[in-house]
This record gives sequence, C-alpha cells and structure tokens, in this order.
Amino acid sequence: MKLRILIADDHEVVRRGLCALLQAHEGWEICAEATDGRQAIEMAAQLKPDVIILDVGMPNLNGLAATRQLTQHDPQCKVIVLTITDSDQVIREALDAGARGFVLKSDAARDLVSAVEALQRNRMFFTPRVNDMVLAGFLDKGYNGSGKEPPRLPKLTTREREVIQLLAEGKSSKEVACVLSLSTKTAETHRSNIMRKLGFHSIRDLVVYAVKNNIIQVQVPSHFHDPVEGSVA
Amino acid sequence: MTVRILVVDDHPVVRHGLRTLLGGHPEWEIVDEAADGLEAIDKADRLKPDVVVLDITMPNMSGLEACRRIRKSVPASEILVVTQHDSPHMMREALEAGARGYVVKSNAARDLLAAVEAVSEHRPFTALNGQPNSTHGGKQ
Repeated sequence: MKLRILIADDHEVVRRGLCALLQAHEGWEICAEATDGRQAIEMAAQLKPDVIILDVGMPNLNGLAATRQLTQHDPQCKVIVLTITDSDQVIREALDAGARGFVLKSDAARDLVSAVEALQRNRMFFTPRVNDMVLAGFLDKGYNGSGKEPPRLPKLTTREREVIQLLAEGKSSKEVACVLSLSTKTAETHRSNIMRKLGFHSIRDLVVYAVKNNIIQVQVPSHFHDPVEGSVA
Repeated sequence: MTVRILVVDDHPVVRHGLRTLLGGHPEWEIVDEAADGLEAIDKADRLKPDVVVLDITMPNMSGLEACRRIRKSVPASEILVVTQHDSPHMMREALEAGARGYVVKSNAARDLLAAVEAVSEHRPFTALNGQPNSTHGGKQ
C-alpha cells in the first residue's frame, strides 16, 4: 500500500517542487495539496494522510499553529515542518507543537526524502542543529519539556493564536470572525483577551509580537541589505 | 525554435518546481540551474541562454546585481525575475537592472509560462499579486 503524503505550502512553485521530489520515490503518493494551515487541517481530517508536510510561513494559519492543532487532535499524527530558518524560537515552537520532523527548505532536496522515510519507520528526523538543541535540553534540563524552564510566552489558547495571526495579517475583527466562523462579538472578546494577556495597547504591538514569534513572516526587500551579499530568502 | 532557459534560485525545491512548470512546454529546454547570482553569471556567460529565470533574494550575490551583470556580459539573454517580493518598488528596481519580466512566486503557476513566452520574444511581462494588469499589464 502506498504511503500517502499531504503537502501544504502557499507557493505553488514550491508545491510543484515538493511533488516532483516525493513522487519520484516508489511507493509514495501525494494525496492532497493545501495552500494554508487551515486547509491542511481540513484535508487531513478528510483524507487521513500517513505523513503531513507543512511550511511554517503560510497565511491564515501558519504551519506551527496547524501542527499544534493536528497533534492535539491526533497525537500519532506525523508532521514534518518545512522552514526557511532553524532559529531557536522556531525549533522550540515546532518541537512543542509536536512535529516529528524538521527540514530546512534550503536542504529539502537533500533531506526531505530521508525525513519522510524516517517518519515512515516511526522515527523522527531533525537537522543537526535541532539535534544539538534537543541534546542540550536533555543535558541541562532546558527545553526538553522538564517544566523547569519558565515559559517564555504567556499562555495563549489555540484559538487566540489563530486570532493573533489573522489580526497581525491586517484583518478586522469582523473578518477574523468570518474566517473562524465566529460572531464578531466573540472575535472582539478574543482580541481583548489577547491584548490583556500580552499587555498590549495597539495592533502595532501585536504585529511586532507576531513577527518576533514567527506567527507571521515578513518579507525583507533585498535593498535593505548589501546588494552584493543579498540575504537568505 | 527551442527556447533555452537557465533557472536560478537558491532553494533546490523551488528549482524543481520551476523545472516542473517549465518542462511541460515542448519547445523549451532547461539548459542548467544555478543556486546564486555568481553561479548564474558564470553559467549565463558559458551557455548564453535565451531566458534567465532569476530569483532576487539569494546568498553570495543578489539577483538584482546578477541581472545587471548578465545584461552587460550577455545582452542577448532576456531576464525574467521570479521573486517572493510582491512590491512595485522591487519591480521597478528589477526593470531598472535590466529585467524584461517580473513575476511574483506565489503566482508563478499562473504567470510563469506566459512570462517566459513573452520575454523569449523580447516583450515585457510584469504582474504583481492581485494586480495582473498593473504597470505593463502582463502580455504586451
């Protein structure tokens, strides 16, 4: 029986690349493609894929929030997070969300097949940097879930995380309500609770928070950098 | 006549995707790939492709600088920028650097084939996200 894979990335050109890469492997098939985290969750519920590959930076619901929801619903769910950065923050969030694989987009052509193979064998796959962090966590009881490290972020509910992303993307409370199938009043209540929990007084504070915590990703035009050196996409 | 294309992007998975999208056209040939601006200049010099599909944000040398240099060294090669930057400012910079076309990556599946076809015939093609008729209004 074929291994069924769901991929989610907002860029079709990346999805085409992922499909080409994965379909070349005998015994694997792409059962669905999603363009954001929300669609990925819906498709996963319908199709029950064996492996789910999620980009981190997607609109509406990012890959980390989607991973969290998928693993909360099904702890056995096998998710590989695909990211452009392996910063401590993203690694910590991905592990905390329950991802079993972590692959840098720049290394996807080399690592993604190995990652899917690992998950197929009920193992995990991480980049060397993630492995170092996990090991360091076990050695110093840092970020291994021992509970001794004080939480870095205020406790937010899954719904509040969703609302933060949508507000930071510029949506109004009414638009947030529409996307999440809530009443506008409920969306406004979530917004008030978020602002109170985080101690914020403006949407600007919320946007900065969302960027700093990788809830949304901002394109940095290359003219902000040395034109010869460029920057990483 | 075969259109010879050089694909330049630092992410192999994106190059795979571009190959897949472009590979369906019977008269187009991907002559090579490059992972940064320096490699793109070198391969453009050697291979003299008809079209260079060029990302902007890359390590070692950005696509804009590579665009300027390729236009000088291989003026017959047309350059199509394919980038994540959905920005009129960036589009203007790319056109000033000598690019003939500008496509936003999120719309590549919609715009790429028409853009390559246009620039291979030395016609401009520009399209920002949600503004397919902006500036040069796509095919001209």
